[in-house]
Amino acid sequence: MSALAGAAAAVAAPSVYSGGSSVIALGVLLAEFGMFRQALLRDQVRLYAAQSGLISVLAILVAAVRHLPDLYVLAALSAALKVVVVPIVLRRLLRGVGRGGEDDPATGWTEIAGSGSLGLANTVLLAIAVAAFGFFAVRALGIRSAVLPPAALEISLSVALVAFVLMIMRRDVASQAIGFLSLENGISLAALVVAAGLPLILEVAFLFDLLVAVVVFELLIRVHHGRAESLSTADLTSLRG
Amino acid sequence: MSGTLPIPVIQFLQVATVGLAAPGVSGVTARVEARLQGRAGPRVLQPYYDLAKLLRKEALAPEGSSWVFLVAPFAAAACYLTVPLLIPVLTSFGLPLGYMGDILGGGLILALASFAVSVAASETGSPYAQLGASRAKTFGAITEPVVLFVIFVVALVTGTDLPYALAATVRSSASQIVRPAHLLAAAALFMVILYETGRIPVETHTGTNEFGMIEEARPFEHSGPYFALLKWGSSMKQLILYTILINVFVAPWGLSATAQAPAVALAIVALLGKAVLLGVVVAVIDNSFAKLRLFKITEFAAAAFLLAVLGVFTLYLGGG
Repeated sequence: MSALAGAAAAVAAPSVYSGGSSVIALGVLLAEFGMFRQALLRDQVRLYAAQSGLISVLAILVAAVRHLPDLYVLAALSAALKVVVVPIVLRRLLRGVGRGGEDDPATGWTEIAGSGSLGLANTVLLAIAVAAFGFFAVRALGIRSAVLPPAALEISLSVALVAFVLMIMRRDVASQAIGFLSLENGISLAALVVAAGLPLILEVAFLFDLLVAVVVFELLIRVHHGRAESLSTADLTSLRG
Repeated sequence: MSGTLPIPVIQFLQVATVGLAAPGVSGVTARVEARLQGRAGPRVLQPYYDLAKLLRKEALAPEGSSWVFLVAPFAAAACYLTVPLLIPVLTSFGLPLGYMGDILGGGLILALASFAVSVAASETGSPYAQLGASRAKTFGAITEPVVLFVIFVVALVTGTDLPYALAATVRSSASQIVRPAHLLAAAALFMVILYETGRIPVETHTGTNEFGMIEEARPFEHSGPYFALLKWGSSMKQLILYTILINVFVAPWGLSATAQAPAVALAIVALLGKAVLLGVVVAVIDNSFAKLRLFKITEFAAAAFLLAVLGVFTLYLGGG
């Protein structure tokens, strides 16, 4: 190695494990950003499944390296639920309501209704600013974790905040629901960092909360679609006093 | 030792490799791309034949254009021949002239070349070339921040902004390769290179008249040897950018660690092999994506910006 490497002010490299786990956590964040770009609900559901898959991969990595066998069970349950069951439920739901007015008759898939207030590039810039707030806020707390690098916790809050931006920027109930579910992915990432050693039964209980959320959203989507004949929440603004 | 090359010769070889091999790399890429589309494709050496043909042809300048129009191709080619002095093309140790400028210096010279071509394009009075020049500068302004943030990542990782230093850091250990900041910066730079070389998510590079053209529209009014210089320059620019991505960020292996002639020869072969490999990757991307509409290019730039900014965030805040 030449004398050039390792100059004074360099930021030291993390270990391969913490670097790799940060990369997976970043993948979760990038999937969240990727949802801004999707124009079809089907693609967004697919991206949500991929994002959930990344979290399971991270859980398996932590389990293998930090010797926490409980996490294998959690990863499997989480993958079964969030990569398989929830996307299937969402697809079926969307196929059910997709036969309304504004959808594509060929596929039955509804296009996402954006808010139209900001272009995609500007939305991404806004989300970068919000994500930066997440990074700085968690950094200020100074939380240290035994199992994962601090970057993962910072990323998890950014995922949650960017999911909020996504929900605000979208105008249809279904993609708001997916935004909410991906927000939950951010929370499970945070849980993995802060409380990887939590008793399994508690983790599983949290996971089943997700099912409740799915049921609630299913009800919301069906009721809204039944009343408004569309998935867009634009009609609801007329309810303002 | 008998096989040791003098340092100035290696320095010259860096420039010669980029200058002579650049059209060949474009030729291989074009051939691979044609094969992927099920066409026979042009000969690998076709870009050289094109250049030779253009050099023999008559040169015309539009009425009313000044000396700027004629000087620009030379200025651009000179810039492109200067940059290989600054970046690790063949050796892993810094050559004397390599310390003339850092990454910012190299970027500045590349920008100067693009500026010269754009000024010449707006000299012509032809609406098409001017359109290209104006678009190139507009989108250049939004990809510039991405490059800046990539340089910030390099500076935070190595403590300097010398390309040689980053290459040495990447070679030093596996943890330097998987660190998120490095991966994000390399991905962001790759996206910028796709833009700068006029590849598919941004524009089609085949050189036919087309409405969405950016870089390719600029040399429309040049002809003969001047056009040959511009074409040669753009293929050199492509190889230079590939070299920066390969030898600084992605795969800085195979560089010569000594001044021995066999090692340097091997480094030339390795560089060209890696550049062709990258060209194949770019050709696959060319064939698997659709061109973005002109106003969607901001989204492409925003995605690259996102990657570069996240790279700085993870470094600065998470020790990534």
